[in-house]
Amino acid sequence: MSDNKLAKTPLFAEHIRLGGKMVPFAGFEMPVQYPLGALKEYQAVRSGEAGIFDISHMGQVRVTGPDALVFLQHVTTNDVSRLVDGQVQYSALLNDRGSFIDDITTYRIDGNSYYLCINAANRHRDVAHLQQQAVGFDVTVADESDETALLALQGEKAQALLQKITEIDLDAIGYYRFAVTTLQGAEAIVSRTGYTGEDGFEIYLPNSSATAIWQALENMGAVPIGLAARDMLRTEMGYALYGHEISDSVTPVEAGLMWITRLDKDDFIGRSAVEARKESGARQALVGLKLTGRGIPREHYKIIANGREVGEVTSGMHSPLAGAGVAIGYVEPEYAGAGALSIDIRGRAVPAERTRTPFVRSNVRK
Amino acid sequence: MAIPVDLKYTKDHEWVRIEGDSATFGVTDHAQEALGDIVFVELPEEGRVMAIGDAFAVVESVKAVSDVYAPVASEIIEGNEALEDSPETVNEDPYGDGWIVKVKVTDGDTSHLMDAAAYAKFLKE
Repeated sequence: MSDNKLAKTPLFAEHIRLGGKMVPFAGFEMPVQYPLGALKEYQAVRSGEAGIFDISHMGQVRVTGPDALVFLQHVTTNDVSRLVDGQVQYSALLNDRGSFIDDITTYRIDGNSYYLCINAANRHRDVAHLQQQAVGFDVTVADESDETALLALQGEKAQALLQKITEIDLDAIGYYRFAVTTLQGAEAIVSRTGYTGEDGFEIYLPNSSATAIWQALENMGAVPIGLAARDMLRTEMGYALYGHEISDSVTPVEAGLMWITRLDKDDFIGRSAVEARKESGARQALVGLKLTGRGIPREHYKIIANGREVGEVTSGMHSPLAGAGVAIGYVEPEYAGAGALSIDIRGRAVPAERTRTPFVRSNVRK
Repeated sequence: MAIPVDLKYTKDHEWVRIEGDSATFGVTDHAQEALGDIVFVELPEEGRVMAIGDAFAVVESVKAVSDVYAPVASEIIEGNEALEDSPETVNEDPYGDGWIVKVKVTDGDTSHLMDAAAYAKFLKE
């Protein structure tokens, strides 16, 4: 089963102990589900419990120095100058063509110190890009991914559980805010962020502390959640995932991510290409779809209009809460707002209606 | 892992219960376990004629889509419509209420199928 080329997170032994079914994911051996099963794991997070996720495969980059702000304004799409200490921002790295290198979150620790969380699959490319772009800026770009564990604790009970092992007042941490604190003797970043649509936290820790914190939370009743349930939770929210909705072949104009692409700030990498694309019009548009017939839409299934392929599903699932198949996908721009659509499921055109995302109610604390 | 002795098995993890000239097909306990939570079952139309190995139904779990293949040459009498509303029955009771189709056997040759002991051995290999 094990593949020597795959990396392991510091929680690998915990996943084995808990009976996790391990699969290759972004270069790591990760649990796709535990014996409880993906559906019950999903329900634990959606229905009033709390789930704990090992997302230590994700990468972390620390950017420090007097030019940290101007550097990040240059390489990221969002307006970093709007951040105050202890605030997080969803953002992206673009290339010169205006398409995505990665989507990221930017943490402002202080005016000279920022922390980026990046996708595992893009880590080496991101770091190389950032270090290359840093030439000429008085800034240090340090890849801390190998030393850093990342846990997500998500669900209605997340705060109550985490509060039992920390002195800081979690209630004072708002949505997309964080605190640098000490958890069981180790420095940690605790942010009220997540990828599930439920209230909860993401906790950055040194590798050596990961198991103790994981076990403490699990012993208090947090349910271990694998990749399958994680993907259900994020798809139901319509959250973009690199390699699915966003990639190096689309720009923020197509991906519906102009809200994190601030054309009103100073120049940044990819800006002129994005402006040109905005001017010429999106080549495709991202839509949310809900099946009105039976079936489960899945990635790469064709979207059909007037008997012709007009797009493709990028993420799809059976939504237990919506009680239907739901999908996100790209369609030709003229089908973004009007015209009957269906999804080709094994040769059957199953009708679908356009739906705003999230597909189900978000419970994040606003 | 349950492997009832009164059934025959395929290498694709279907089971068949033959009773005279009719039969019932389903997927094995091993198959449902490997698939994980089943969230959708697509059933064939009545009257469909199948050769050995023809894909006749689709079972979908959270992450995977799996074809189900005919263990013997046969014709569909009925699909288990209860699975349309409760696909999880395949996980809960794969050899009982989780049956997938009932068929009329058109060729009773089962020499290519495994008995329970052979299937148990096959799973270990």
